Amino acid sequence: MKPTETTPSTPLPPETQPRQLPADGPTVARVTVVTALGPVEPTAKVLRRTWTFVSRNRTIVLFALMLLGTDRVIGRFAAVWDRHSPDDYAARVKGCAREQRDLVFIGGSPVAEGINPDRVAGVAWAGKPLASAYAMGLSGGTTSDFYHAVLRGCPTPPRVLVYGITASDLNDSRHEPHGPYSLMTTGDVGRWVRLRPDSAEWVVRHFAQARLGRASDLYRYRHGIRMWAATEADRQLPGSCPEAVGEADELRERADALRTGNGYAPARGYSVGRYDAVKAAGLRPKEFPYLRKYRTGSHLKYLHELAIWCGVRGVDLVLVDMPVTADLEAMYPAEFAEYRARLAEVEQGAGLRVIRASRAAVGLTDTHFADLIHMNREGAKVFSGWVRSELGRCGQ
Amino acid sequence: MIFASKAFFIFLPVVLVLYHLPRARGRKYGVMLAASWLFYAWLSPQYLWVIVLCTVIDYLAALKIEGAETDRARKWWLGVSVAANLGLLFAFKYTTFVYDNAVSLAQFCGTPVRDRTWDILLPLGISFHTFQGISYTADVYRRQIKAVRSFLDYAMFVAFFPQLAAGPIVRAAEFLPQMVTPPSVSARQVADGLHFFVLGLFKKLFLADQLDQLFVAPVFADPAAFDPAARRWACVAWAAQIYCDFSGYSDMAVGCAKWFGFELPRNFNFPYLATSITDFWRRWHLSLSTWLRDYLYFPLGGSRGSAPRTYFNLTVVFVMCGLWHGATWAWLVYGLYNGLLMSLHRAWDRSLAGVRWADRVRSTVAWKLAAWAGTSFAIVAGLILIRIPSWTAGGVMFESLLGLDLMGGWSAAIPVWVPALLAVVAAGHLFSGLRNRVCGLLELPSPVRAAVYVGAIGLLVTLGPGVGKTFIYLAF
Repeated sequence: MKPTETTPSTPLPPETQPRQLPADGPTVARVTVVTALGPVEPTAKVLRRTWTFVSRNRTIVLFALMLLGTDRVIGRFAAVWDRHSPDDYAARVKGCAREQRDLVFIGGSPVAEGINPDRVAGVAWAGKPLASAYAMGLSGGTTSDFYHAVLRGCPTPPRVLVYGITASDLNDSRHEPHGPYSLMTTGDVGRWVRLRPDSAEWVVRHFAQARLGRASDLYRYRHGIRMWAATEADRQLPGSCPEAVGEADELRERADALRTGNGYAPARGYSVGRYDAVKAAGLRPKEFPYLRKYRTGSHLKYLHELAIWCGVRGVDLVLVDMPVTADLEAMYPAEFAEYRARLAEVEQGAGLRVIRASRAAVGLTDTHFADLIHMNREGAKVFSGWVRSELGRCGQ
Repeated sequence: MIFASKAFFIFLPVVLVLYHLPRARGRKYGVMLAASWLFYAWLSPQYLWVIVLCTVIDYLAALKIEGAETDRARKWWLGVSVAANLGLLFAFKYTTFVYDNAVSLAQFCGTPVRDRTWDILLPLGISFHTFQGISYTADVYRRQIKAVRSFLDYAMFVAFFPQLAAGPIVRAAEFLPQMVTPPSVSARQVADGLHFFVLGLFKKLFLADQLDQLFVAPVFADPAAFDPAARRWACVAWAAQIYCDFSGYSDMAVGCAKWFGFELPRNFNFPYLATSITDFWRRWHLSLSTWLRDYLYFPLGGSRGSAPRTYFNLTVVFVMCGLWHGATWAWLVYGLYNGLLMSLHRAWDRSLAGVRWADRVRSTVAWKLAAWAGTSFAIVAGLILIRIPSWTAGGVMFESLLGLDLMGGWSAAIPVWVPALLAVVAAGHLFSGLRNRVCGLLELPSPVRAAVYVGAIGLLVTLGPGVGKTFIYLAF
């Protein structure tokens, strides 16, 4: 039997065809170089892929890197931006914590505008003078915020803590984000959630927003940069942005005062304002939004916390019922009645010392106020003197 | 929801991740549709039914048109779609206008009728998605495109959130082919998306809002309180503001769409470089101009009839264009003004076309500059109409723009930032527009581009207003 011959024109079945090698030699599909340190191919591959990705997306990659770089550079100049737009709460707390204080005042804007610690410092308490005093007046704050301010601002407990309390501090309808933003830690948020579940969602949200906002220094210091830019622009082109420069000047002045002073840094408008003149001009305010939908109970829990904090550390806590204008009390009689009832409960129940600073007792009139609730510089002078004498009396 | 809001900056990355995670077409588009309806319902959830109803009607009408055996049936279903869209648009947008004018007329005639004490909140982007729906069914009717079989696809086309609130008005023929397979996003699209998004934000927050706050709003609110030079500056600043506001939104829409792999049409082409009113409308809000041309001007007869008929058609189209923007007499007058200018320009152009000396003159640089100046003046004068708080205030502004009070002064205390911001707008036009580029920045090397975007973001964060105002065109 003759073997079957295959002619060159007849194609072989694929499996029997010889493998065709490319003209320029065999193609190496995979080579793994093994060294003493192990295979190196994956690293090279990753590097090559990374490089391909970076070169393909170079605009985006460069953008991201430049954005991060800019953010870092801005962070390096944090002190400059802070000087042009201080975080009021953080600056006051830092200022208070800078050294040990014998007497610390806490409270909202009525304390910030109405108490000059220098006029009170030196008063004798339990036979010894209260040599250094500081006012942590946090504008727009609530009792819950003041408690956290004391935690951060008084690492060494003072001998006497004076809380200048007013009706709006206890209004549970008020939620002010500055506290979660500047004063609280994660632990404080957890404690708030347990203590005040009615506002748990709010505090968690604002705390998270604050932390997120601090992730970028560009965002965090945006207002400081704006104020700095306005100042520089005005230096180059005088009169180019008068409003912004006015704001920047005031903020810088305040930042300097807070950095080095005793916490008394009255706002320009309040310092020279006169409520009697406002009334005479027919501009009497129709509403005070901080007392809207007045209800109490939740913030009050932090007043008890404050009392406990003071009790544990041997700090004498004194509450001063801050004076307000007659007009404000007349506008919100029910609210002030509820507030004073709560204050009486605290006085009797927790045994706290309360000084009631009525206008008549202090000698305040509309001329001593800048608006419905804030004292002007003259009012602050009168009131601080009165507080000094009352503390002297109590301290005996 | 609006662009340039905090909510949107959380919404966008979440949607981008959810959209790009699944590979299946249906899931991707499902995510996009859900996101778009959420975007729509964010501010006024009670109106979600409006877009759903329009979508269902147009989707069914297109299928019926395609399936109809007679021309009469096809026309009938087209009529259903047009009537449904225009009916809803009229009900929400023009009822108060008609009512107020009827009341005024009745009171004028001595019939005591009480003024309106109610108002109608406008659903988001109704002027845009209704026009989009009409163009879809009309294109199916004209057999230019096939009706979409998948409701999901059609609903996503109508509700695609980047262009839902303020356009551009996207044609089905432009968008639906991109949906056949879910478009993959290229590196270039990501970079260009960033470009258009940042550019749009910059135009809106840094230029438009700053011009408004610093200068335009106070001057237009009480023109008599400012001197003539300030009023002249305010007119120019207002023209820059409205351009930056609307083209800023369009740019952000284009940028957003690119991140999802879609390309949206260009809506503005440096309108303030126009050398005639016709040229201006070929550069301003292109998607609306071409829509009106294709679905109103051509059906009216276009320029096929006599010259008077053509001028009539032009005027009707521009009056409708004005009324589309807003249901007020000011917008109607603005439309009429532009219609008349268009007709005049057409007549002028026709009369000189082919005249040798005229062609020679018109091709000179001097003539082009004069034409640009005249056109710009006419545009700014027209834009005053839509900003004035009263006709008296408008008169004062016009007087200043015309220079009738030149003796009143040239030395107003203009905030130094106003000319600076206007210079930025002008630079943008000159840098790209004169070279006939989409945007000159796109051609720069990557490091320069990246640095420009970082600089723009830095300016936005530090010098932009804290919270963005509503886009002007969202009101349309």
